Amino acid sequence: MKRGLWFAIGVMLLGVPLAAQGKPLTVTGIRGVTFGAILPGVPRVVLRTDPANSGQLDIKGPKGNVLLSFVLPLTMTGPNGALMPLTFGSGDAGYSATQAIGSQVGFDPKQSFTATIPNNGRASVFIGATANAATNQGAGAYTGTIILNVTILP
Amino acid sequence: MRSITKLSLVVAALVLTGTALQAQTNNAAITATASVQTPINVVGALPLSFGNVFPGVNKAVPATDLANGGRFDVTGQASAPVTLSFTLPATLSTGGGATMPIVSYTGMHAALATQVGGVAFAPAVGTTTPLSGTGALFVWVGAQVQPATNQVAGVYTGSITMTVVY
Repeated sequence: MKRGLWFAIGVMLLGVPLAAQGKPLTVTGIRGVTFGAILPGVPRVVLRTDPANSGQLDIKGPKGNVLLSFVLPLTMTGPNGALMPLTFGSGDAGYSATQAIGSQVGFDPKQSFTATIPNNGRASVFIGATANAATNQGAGAYTGTIILNVTILP
Repeated sequence: MRSITKLSLVVAALVLTGTALQAQTNNAAITATASVQTPINVVGALPLSFGNVFPGVNKAVPATDLANGGRFDVTGQASAPVTLSFTLPATLSTGGGATMPIVSYTGMHAALATQVGGVAFAPAVGTTTPLSGTGALFVWVGAQVQPATNQVAGVYTGSITMTVVY
C-alpha cells in the first residue's frame, strides 16, 4: 500500500519537470499589414512577399505538425465607423520553415493549413491582402485585426 | 494496495495529460492599417454657353473663354494624378426634337481658376494631370455648333459629363 502511495506521489512530482522539458508553443505578431496611403477608388494590394508591408507572425514550438488558421476581417474601420473592404486571395498567406520571406509555401488564409515546425522550433507566417477603397471612401486612418491561431497536431 | 495502484495510474495520467494539453494552441494578432486620402469631388461650375446662334452661321466658344466656356471644379488629394474623361454630346436639342450639331470640342485645365499656366487638351481623348499642391484642378470645355440654314428657332441644350478618377 505504501509503495503505491509513494509511486503516486513520485509521478505527481515527476510530471511537472517532464512537461516543462517540451518547448511551449508561442505565436508572436511581428509586423502588421501596411497599405500606406490609399486613393479612393484605387485598390491597393500588399503581397505576402513584400518585406516592408506584408504581415508577419512568428511561431516557436516543438517540432512537428501544427494547424494554422486565420481569423480575417472583412473590413477595416475608419473615421466615424466608416468601413473599407479588405479581401484575401487564395495565395495571400505563406508559411516559412526557415523564417525567410523569400522562402514561403503559399496557402489560402481562408482555409486551415497544416505546416511542420522544423527541428529548431521556429517558423514564420506571412500574409498579404487587398484594400478596396470606394470612390467615395472617407479620408482618414483605417485599421483591422488579423488573428493567427496555431494548434499542435498529435 | 490494488486500489492505491489504480489511483497512482489515474494521477499519473491526469498529470501527464493535463500538462500535455496546456500548450496545444496559441494565437497572436497583427493589425492591417491604411490611410485613405481625400476623395475626388467634381462640381459643374459654369455651363458652356453659346448665347444667340443664327441659322447657317457656325459659332465657337473656345475653352479659353472664361465667361462662356464650360468649367468643372475638381478637388482631391494634393498633387495626386487624376485622369479626366468626358461624355460629349454630338448635338444640342430642343424639347420639341430639333437638333443642332456640335462639330468640335476643345479643353483646357489649370491649377488656378484664372487659367494661368493652363494646358490645352482634347476632351474627346481625355487627359491625365496632377491636382495642384492644394488639391485643386479647374477644367474648361469649349465647342463649336453648326446650325443649319433652316435651324428651328428655340433653346437648345445638351449635357457634358466629366469623369475624374485617381
